[in-house]
Amino acid sequence: MFWRILKKDLKRKKTMNIILLLFVILCSMFAAAAVNNIMTVTGGIEHYFDVADVPDVIVKALNSEENDLGEKIGELTSVKEIRTEHWLCVASSKFFKYNGKELENFMSTAYLLSDSEMAIDYFDENNHIIESVDKGCFYANAPFLQDMDIKEGDEVELTVGNSHLTLKFMGRFKGALFDSGNTAYPYLIMNSADYDYLDKDEATHIMNGRQFCVNTSDVDEIRELAKDYSGVYVYTREEIKDIYLYDMLSAYVLMMISIVLMFTAFVVLRFTIGFTVSEEFREIGVMKAVGIDNGSIRSLYIVKYLAITVIGALIGYFCSVPLGDMMMKTISENIVLGSESGTLMGLLSFAAVVIIILLFCYGCTRRVNKLSPIDAVRNGQTGERFRRKSLLHLGRSKLPQAAFFSVNDVISSPRQFSIMIVVFTLCILLMTIMSNFALTFKSEKILCFFDVPSCEAHIGDSEIVGEVLADQSTYKTIIADTEKLLADNGMPGKCTMTMGTQFETSHEDKTAKIVFAVMKGETNDTLYVDEGSAPQKTDEIAVTVSTLEDLGAEIGDRVTTVINEKEYEFIITGTYSSFISQAFLYKDFDLGNLPANNILGVQIHFDGNPDKEQINKNIEKLRDLLGTEKVYSTSDFIKNLTEMSDTLNAIKQMMMIITVIVTALIVILMERSFISKEKSEIALMKAVGIDNGSIILQHLLRFVIVSVIACIVSTAVLMPISNAMMNWVGNMIGDISDLKCDFDPLEIFVICPAILIGVTVIGSYLTALYTKTIKASDTASIE
Amino acid sequence: MNHTVLQTKGLCKTYIVNKHQNNVLKNIDLTISEGEMIAVMGPSGSGKSTLLYCVSGMDRVTAGKVFFNGRETAKLGDKDLARLRLDEMGFIFQQMYMMKNLSVLDNIIFPAVKSKKNRSSRRQTEERGRALMHRLGIDDVCGNDINEVSGGQLQRACICRSMINNPKMIFADEPTGALNRASSDEVMNELLALNRDGTTVMCVTHDPKVAAKCSRVLYLVDGGIVGEKEMGHFGGGDKEFRNRERELNNWLMEQGW
Repeated sequence: MFWRILKKDLKRKKTMNIILLLFVILCSMFAAAAVNNIMTVTGGIEHYFDVADVPDVIVKALNSEENDLGEKIGELTSVKEIRTEHWLCVASSKFFKYNGKELENFMSTAYLLSDSEMAIDYFDENNHIIESVDKGCFYANAPFLQDMDIKEGDEVELTVGNSHLTLKFMGRFKGALFDSGNTAYPYLIMNSADYDYLDKDEATHIMNGRQFCVNTSDVDEIRELAKDYSGVYVYTREEIKDIYLYDMLSAYVLMMISIVLMFTAFVVLRFTIGFTVSEEFREIGVMKAVGIDNGSIRSLYIVKYLAITVIGALIGYFCSVPLGDMMMKTISENIVLGSESGTLMGLLSFAAVVIIILLFCYGCTRRVNKLSPIDAVRNGQTGERFRRKSLLHLGRSKLPQAAFFSVNDVISSPRQFSIMIVVFTLCILLMTIMSNFALTFKSEKILCFFDVPSCEAHIGDSEIVGEVLADQSTYKTIIADTEKLLADNGMPGKCTMTMGTQFETSHEDKTAKIVFAVMKGETNDTLYVDEGSAPQKTDEIAVTVSTLEDLGAEIGDRVTTVINEKEYEFIITGTYSSFISQAFLYKDFDLGNLPANNILGVQIHFDGNPDKEQINKNIEKLRDLLGTEKVYSTSDFIKNLTEMSDTLNAIKQMMMIITVIVTALIVILMERSFISKEKSEIALMKAVGIDNGSIILQHLLRFVIVSVIACIVSTAVLMPISNAMMNWVGNMIGDISDLKCDFDPLEIFVICPAILIGVTVIGSYLTALYTKTIKASDTASIE
Repeated sequence: MNHTVLQTKGLCKTYIVNKHQNNVLKNIDLTISEGEMIAVMGPSGSGKSTLLYCVSGMDRVTAGKVFFNGRETAKLGDKDLARLRLDEMGFIFQQMYMMKNLSVLDNIIFPAVKSKKNRSSRRQTEERGRALMHRLGIDDVCGNDINEVSGGQLQRACICRSMINNPKMIFADEPTGALNRASSDEVMNELLALNRDGTTVMCVTHDPKVAAKCSRVLYLVDGGIVGEKEMGHFGGGDKEFRNRERELNNWLMEQGW
């Protein structure tokens, strides 16, 4: 009998059961995708480093003459293995020609490496290890390929000094130790014969580079040794992971999106199960009346939901694979993603979905115990209501009938519609927060977090500013030459350059390697400090909050730094926020001819506050004068610096598509279940003469009310949430506090709400058309 | 001669269930005049409720014609048919169907709020609803939720709802089917009072005590009217009722009841 009831139920309540199945599929799909993404993201870099054979320690030696560093490392007793890789240097993108035109797409110098000397495993786009490169061919990483529409098989000409090569592009490669950001160094892997040919040309040795991949049990021993050599940087496996911050942040954003989607699906599912159980109270009463015990009644429903859940979860699990891949697409461009425990986790997530849904069912059927047969059979129309619901009064309301009914329905079922409001709010927040993030990461207001003053133009050509990387004192010539060039050509202005150099700094017993930034040149801008004051003397510095914590220091404390073998003592005058440095020196502090770790080009502030049109003209003129396209306006400069903006834009667009699909699905399934539940009321309304249009309008308005409230709620919470998340992100990338998000009012207040409301209106209208199939005479056949 | 409110000519209704044709109503010719109170009786499955739904425009006929107040309902679109039901007809069902998110009073007045015939304000409509509730003796539950009142009260509320737009005709599908005898008598007395005020009533019932209060009784078997008994208007009083009931029962026996 038990199975017969179950079979009949599955057949008879086909619509609700199908709706339930679809929600289970949705839930399982997002849950499996979220679990997979969480696994991939949290273990992503570790997995990538493992498959790429990244060693314990990476020693990078730049601008060094061939010396015995490699041999000395090899002689250390703790060293188990050492692999060496040499790089040749191509000073500017202009040395490359594609389609007969010089490349202008990247700012930094490019490096070439040979296929015979790859210290770690490099991967092609399909995640296959590159074993060798054919003669006359090359692979390039992301920074080389930015803004370049190059296809596999296309040829690129390379001219360095007196050497010339025509190389065929074989595809993009992923290098675990190379940053993939727009401002990072481009790398090319080529055949050893081509490499050896270029190696003979002196022009490729203006900045020699070597990378030692060392497996060792004592990192400190290598650090000690490295101190004896200039231009040598030692990174552990953990430290090098910082280059993936942008990728990982995007991945974490996606992970959060997956979690929100999973949460949304579970909330809706929980609601739908409660919905279907409440529909069956009368039957429950009948079963109780004929003497079936609570356990049997509950198990009847639980078995039914188990059957639906297992089928739905299985389908959802298989659907989650393409969804997860789609969500991780932007991240997997730079990282070899994968999780060895993927299948196991998939099965676990499947089991978890089944258990969670059954727990929902168990919770929802708990009311079966409380119901007496009389309650279920006699109370209310279908036995499901035991408390007062009507709050508004039609006689006292001025609303038209359909509007009154929809408002009254929303108010009468606050829990049900609150859940929908929360779900829709989450959907719209997913879109708007992404929009804010993408906008902020290209906003001019974050310029100061890159340690550069407000300015109108930026020269980012490595050929012009590259010398500073070898000798910081050359900034004087660069600034003087640029200012003269500006004055001679009728666009006078002041120039600044900000250089960053890493030094070991200590306070009491704590020591940290921190990047010191110093701004050279004339500017009216002073360092924006979050607390305290900006340094005013050469023995004063401002530091970031996390540096204060790392050093265990406070504002007013003194720290010691060794610069150029000389010990300096600095007073900490305040804290500031930065994406790239941890300490800021007073402008008069002289770093001599030390090499710089980073330089963000030359910043130009034109005299006389020219308007935007004039600034653009000046930029164009400068490009002609300097023979480079790498003169940027502030907005373009920011866009280049924060490559995350493009990724976030891609995620935002993907989110919009996912949100539209999810919202449409929720609306359609919810409305369909409403119609199913309210069939008797719809039939009654038709019987007493309410026309189809009014009924459809009532159903449509309920969703409109919910989506409008969701838009208002999301608008109210958007900026606080965006700012909190932005500062969290800022803290992950650099050391940022009190960063206010930018927002596009049109997108936030018009486009995104319009998308949500539009999808809701279209979805609910099309589904509500189904009410037309319910006839007035159905009142006779309603149970 | 009284004006004809409802007329059917060759009314047929066929349902197709599992590819099987089921002729529920066969060539029904029926004329109902203004002020009549018609009872439709017959065994289960004879097509009584289907006849009520077809003549009231709640369901479309398969063949034949239905005229309500001179208008052929088959020629009306869904919207016009809905308007006709809203403005000219009232409905009472065996189950006390109500909108569950509305109070008893709001359930009664909502057809009036929607009706374009109703020119009075919301407050006046509400007052009319209260007056109807008072008349039917349920004014003490007007603010209650529908789950807070008894079945008899709910059915009387349904009668109030059917009356709110002053319909020309009330269709009642076993209005006392779910009620006990006392409630059933109360509901029938209200319908009688309505009829005396000039409202035409068509009532499907299994109960001879209900039918005995009607002016005419139709007897349906297998989708066709096999018998018709003119009873005249019920004047009231136990003696008259007992006589009418006896007379009807005898006639029903002849029909094979």
